[in-house]
Amino acid sequence: MTVIDSPPEEITVAPEAPTKGTNDLARRVGSWVVAYLGALAVFGAFMALKGVNPFVAYRDMFDSTLMNSASLSEVLIKAAPFLLAALAVAVPARGGLVNLGGEGQIVMGGIAAAGVALGLEGKVASGLVMVAMLVGAMVAGALWAALAGVLRVGAGINEAISTLLLNYIAIDVLLYLISGPWKDSAGFGQLASKPLADETRLPTFGSDGRIHLGVFIAMAAAVGIWLLLRSTSWGFQLRVAGGNGEAARRAGLPVAKLLLSGLITGGAMAGLAGAIHFAGVEGQLRPGMTFGFGYIGFLASWLAGHHPIRIAGAALLLGAIAVAGDSLQIDAGLPAASVNVLMAFVLFAVLGKKPRLAGASR
Amino acid sequence: MSITKHWKRSLALMAGAALLFSACGDSNDEKTAAKSETSSAAKADAPGVGGKAIGFIFVGPKDDFGYNQAAYDGSEAVKKAYPDLEVLQAENVPETAEAERVVEGMIKKGAKIIFTTSFGHKDYALKIAARHPDVAVLQQGNVIEGKVPANIGTFFGNVYEPVYLAGIAAGKATKTNKLGYVAAFPIPQTLLNINAFQRGAASVNPAVETYTVFTSSWCDPGKQADAAKSLLGQGIDVLTQHQDCTGTIIKTAEAAGAMSVGYHADASSLAPKGWITGSEWDWGPLYVDMVKTVLAGDFTGSKYNDNFRAGYKSDPAEGELSPLVQSIFGPMVTDETKALVEKAKADISGAGSPFAGPVVDQDGVEKVPAGTIPSYADLENMDYLVKGVVGKMPS
Amino acid sequence: MIAAQAATDVGGQLLIVSVLVGAVRSGTSIFYAALGETISERAGVINVGTEGCMLAGAMSAYAVTAETGNPWFGVLGAAAVGGALALLHAYLVIARGANQLANGLVIMFLGLGLTSLFGASYVSREINGFKPYAIPGLSSIPAVGDILFNHDPLTYLSFALGPAVWFLLFRTRWGLLLRGAGERAPVLSSYGYSPERIRYIAVGLGGLLAGIGGAQLSTAVALTWFENMTQGRGFIAVALVIFASWHPLWAMGGAYLFGAALALGPELQVRNVGVNQFVLDALPYVMTLAVLVVLAKRSFQRAPEGLAEVFDAPPVS
Repeated sequence: MTVIDSPPEEITVAPEAPTKGTNDLARRVGSWVVAYLGALAVFGAFMALKGVNPFVAYRDMFDSTLMNSASLSEVLIKAAPFLLAALAVAVPARGGLVNLGGEGQIVMGGIAAAGVALGLEGKVASGLVMVAMLVGAMVAGALWAALAGVLRVGAGINEAISTLLLNYIAIDVLLYLISGPWKDSAGFGQLASKPLADETRLPTFGSDGRIHLGVFIAMAAAVGIWLLLRSTSWGFQLRVAGGNGEAARRAGLPVAKLLLSGLITGGAMAGLAGAIHFAGVEGQLRPGMTFGFGYIGFLASWLAGHHPIRIAGAALLLGAIAVAGDSLQIDAGLPAASVNVLMAFVLFAVLGKKPRLAGASR
Repeated sequence: MSITKHWKRSLALMAGAALLFSACGDSNDEKTAAKSETSSAAKADAPGVGGKAIGFIFVGPKDDFGYNQAAYDGSEAVKKAYPDLEVLQAENVPETAEAERVVEGMIKKGAKIIFTTSFGHKDYALKIAARHPDVAVLQQGNVIEGKVPANIGTFFGNVYEPVYLAGIAAGKATKTNKLGYVAAFPIPQTLLNINAFQRGAASVNPAVETYTVFTSSWCDPGKQADAAKSLLGQGIDVLTQHQDCTGTIIKTAEAAGAMSVGYHADASSLAPKGWITGSEWDWGPLYVDMVKTVLAGDFTGSKYNDNFRAGYKSDPAEGELSPLVQSIFGPMVTDETKALVEKAKADISGAGSPFAGPVVDQDGVEKVPAGTIPSYADLENMDYLVKGVVGKMPS
Repeated sequence: MIAAQAATDVGGQLLIVSVLVGAVRSGTSIFYAALGETISERAGVINVGTEGCMLAGAMSAYAVTAETGNPWFGVLGAAAVGGALALLHAYLVIARGANQLANGLVIMFLGLGLTSLFGASYVSREINGFKPYAIPGLSSIPAVGDILFNHDPLTYLSFALGPAVWFLLFRTRWGLLLRGAGERAPVLSSYGYSPERIRYIAVGLGGLLAGIGGAQLSTAVALTWFENMTQGRGFIAVALVIFASWHPLWAMGGAYLFGAALALGPELQVRNVGVNQFVLDALPYVMTLAVLVVLAKRSFQRAPEGLAEVFDAPPVS
């Protein structure tokens, strides 16, 4: 049996195969270094092909992304929704489910937050509006994911496909709302909702006022999900259901409910990502405001083997790469999107590490 | 599974981030030797003075045969005029918080003058301006309502004026009396253009109608092709547009044997047979003048620290800075038509206006009474389509 | 509500004819990609990176056409680059054990990055792309002529490819082997065939066809290259394959359905009907979900077994 025939979970579990001693650790660290250096080399070669000196370009990227506090805060702001979007993938993955719908769940979260703000702003205390926005967004993201969950456990429709389709519907719902009922009447016909009042925006920190509360919410969520999966019986049961559904069912576990709850929890995380980006950064619903967050979150989760704490690191890495794209453009004159090539090769290097014992772990 | 192992992996990921950017060498900063612009000491703290770079952001690619190419060419003119200043350019900057971040990056690199060149960049431009009182922000298009902060201003050209002239040429050229307009969103600038086009055409051909399709995208070539084909299928024989990238619609019209009116850039080479005329931008002189004003420390309180508009009716000094250019005429445009266009241009440059009353909307409601010339400010709030335009605003 | 408006046509094409013409025009690029993805998935490998293969195809076709002046060379280039990206996917998932869905997304990002890196200098280039060719005789049949026989050569090629791929998959020994790789890989191995090799070929063919789909978009429909110009059409193709129950001819119908939804908006607008394009845009996705619900059991029984293992999580009672 070839490797591709094994379900996704097997592959993620595999790198955690028992390690033996420092020799093995050194080998693993070595292989990470090789992977990253390889990715840098490949992208460097592409840059050189376009007549850009890769050494200068990398130095500029490093300088302008990680060498000052202002750009570091941009990385954190960028990474926060990635982190939550990745948790949206990691939790269902525990139950063996593939959530490709972060993109749409994030959008629904943003929509809910905006809807709550439209309804409550000026009527109740702004702190309450904020809490309601976050909670509303989590509910909306959870419901959007639950749709796919119900289709999965009810009709047997594969959740990877249904969540993918739901992404497009969510984006169309957003565009419909901001081009029609929720269009800002003072917005000169632009597709955007009414801006959030200053006092209902998430509080910010630091001298430049860029880091918002959502960054800390995301970090807390990562720890919370980690504890939930690790220390609760729900987390354990979800894992069992994901590992061998048949056995879990025979053991009396409510498999359908577990899977649904996994997907719903994930959806809530994605909804939260939409809310913090809306209330912490954008302040308005706009077309494309969270474009790609869900997919990048998906990759961050895979990069980190679906482990909540490692995901924080992966989200930071992908956030840093995204911000470094600005430097490519400003300093090297390359299109910002070309940084995706670098991201792709980092991911190839990690995804394509042939898992040892993959076949045997079955 | 042990916790420490996870932390190690986590560290490996983060170390990866550092490795990714640091693998290649030293991070010594060669650019610290700032060459500060010469300016009078008294005005040294005026917004935009003393920077070492000028930043431009564009919503699309710099060579789109359209809006962004025009703005990019303007930034190149600034580069030429101020060789000592670094000109930072960023394409494909969406109208989201990405814009804010990219501009912050430019400011970090020493830019004190920022051009945000798309309508939807305005909100981010305002935020940047509020956060950096020492940076002068120039927002292309859109309007700042109420009191304009001391370090920002909007500017645009009354492009509906040359569009009106192009409408005259199109109205004379059409054989089916049906013109087609591919638009993106019903923002005032776009509605002004559609209405001016129809009014220009109707001024010489009362039977003419302008069919309008909104694509809900500034540039989706696939959707543009659908829109153009839909219009052509209705017997429309002249196509024009308000899109950021313009090649697809002009090529589609030419391939179908229809005529086209350009927008944003000279695309006559794409339509050797069907090209009528078009409206273009030449931002260079205006950009350079704005930079000059800022560097002299004179920005605050100047005409650029406001909602600045340049059109045919400007005073002579501003006339030279007008970004409006009417494209060359295509081969089939008659001398009679050219004369009509010249006459209308003289009229607009004098007392006239493309929207001289009466202006009646699609429902027959009089929007501008007869004998009235609306002000630029009135026009910038346009929210209706005029009589003769076929098509509804997307709801 | 829509049908009632058809009566208000003045002078132009009937709404239904225009929409069907538009369905073929906008659906063809999606169809190519869906057809390719059908082959790939029949062999047991899903490639969510079809979007990236399409983009790479769109850009390569445009660039090669610009350089050589011949759009057919462009198609060759598109097929080669689309196929190469897909082979990279195949290598990583078959030989390196990468997860198919995650790796597919990476392929998508790689396609986006590479085409923006190398495509930037072609945005303003002009090309002599494919022109519509009205088939003498057939194209003058009322309505049908416009809908089917007045298109670019790549569209005609796609008409032939649908049935050809069906024949290949279901009526040839090679098709049997390919489906075997997707369903009964161990059996195939025991007869001395290499399922891996067959999968490489299938995935490569899939990317090749997606690349041609991109070429059709850039060199026959839009006549332009633009960053990210496929705008999700490759993702639509992946969804379509399931909608079509891994059947090449149903994929054709599904692609035209999506094409019709794309064409309907402007067609209604030129008939003076106010529409919200986004409601129309959502329709095909809602319909796909509805079809999945209706066909749920049947559809997934038809899924290649190798794929079912990739997709399927634990059994649920």
